[in-house]
Amino acid sequence: MSVDVSITCQEVVELLSAYLDGELDPTTLARVETHLAGCDGCTMVLEEFRETIRLSGGLTVEQVDKTQRRTLLEAFRDWTAGG
Amino acid sequence: MSDPRKPPDDLALVERLRAGDETAFMVLVDELGPSMHRVARMYVSSDTVAAEVVQDAWVGILKGLDGFEGRSSLRTWIFRILVNTAKTRGQRESRTVPFSSLAGDDLDQPTFDPGSFGAPGEPNAGAWSTLPFDWRGMPEERAEGTETLHVIGGAIAMLPPMQAEVIRLRDVLGWTSEEVCNALDLTETNQRVLLHRARTKVRGALEEHFRSVSGA
Repeated sequence: MSVDVSITCQEVVELLSAYLDGELDPTTLARVETHLAGCDGCTMVLEEFRETIRLSGGLTVEQVDKTQRRTLLEAFRDWTAGG
Repeated sequence: MSDPRKPPDDLALVERLRAGDETAFMVLVDELGPSMHRVARMYVSSDTVAAEVVQDAWVGILKGLDGFEGRSSLRTWIFRILVNTAKTRGQRESRTVPFSSLAGDDLDQPTFDPGSFGAPGEPNAGAWSTLPFDWRGMPEERAEGTETLHVIGGAIAMLPPMQAEVIRLRDVLGWTSEEVCNALDLTETNQRVLLHRARTKVRGALEEHFRSVSGA
């Protein structure tokens, strides 16, 4: 008798971030990989997660407020001058 | 996207700051400033107060720079000072911010619509009953256009503040999970849960967007 180690699609999709970030324990990792190998739906969502992360990396960082930038530069100059 | 900075580079950067290198300082201010402001804003009552917190934090950071030993990354260390400054200021404002209002109050709920899966007790319990729209085949110029970035930015802006900040630091700025946990004072588990919820919502927004532009 083998132990039932199956895991459902609904459970797998909750683990995809941890899977992509390499944070699953070996047992869970093996279950997720076995499931993915036989599940087109979960594989699709996994690939879309990967793509979501990649596309998010293309966002640009907002600008710092000009007044604050100037104030901080002054603070830095004070500090450099031994203030 | 910025590269994860290694402690040795951090020590070199600290040296440049000590030597009064204004360019190095402003690069740091520009890189971290927007996140610092948003994180400060989580703990205090207004944007004006948040700007003061960021200002105070930088003064504290410069004063304490000699104490930076490179045990954590410089940006993590900077955020620790920022978060402490912001929390102290929030307390002085008698402002108590429950974790749930920052993190979202749905953390114990499934991230995917349970209606997409077979109901408990059914033969297909937990298996896909309705598959999400498949947008993997989007042409690159469509997928990587400014419209897509607009959708992602819009979806992140709708998230509870802590979820938004975790996904920004991890996926937009490329920080490690360890750095984010330390910087935002989160447990590993909380960080993972927040990130997963955030990514699921952004993926969902992209799905909706690509479905509508494809006419499906």
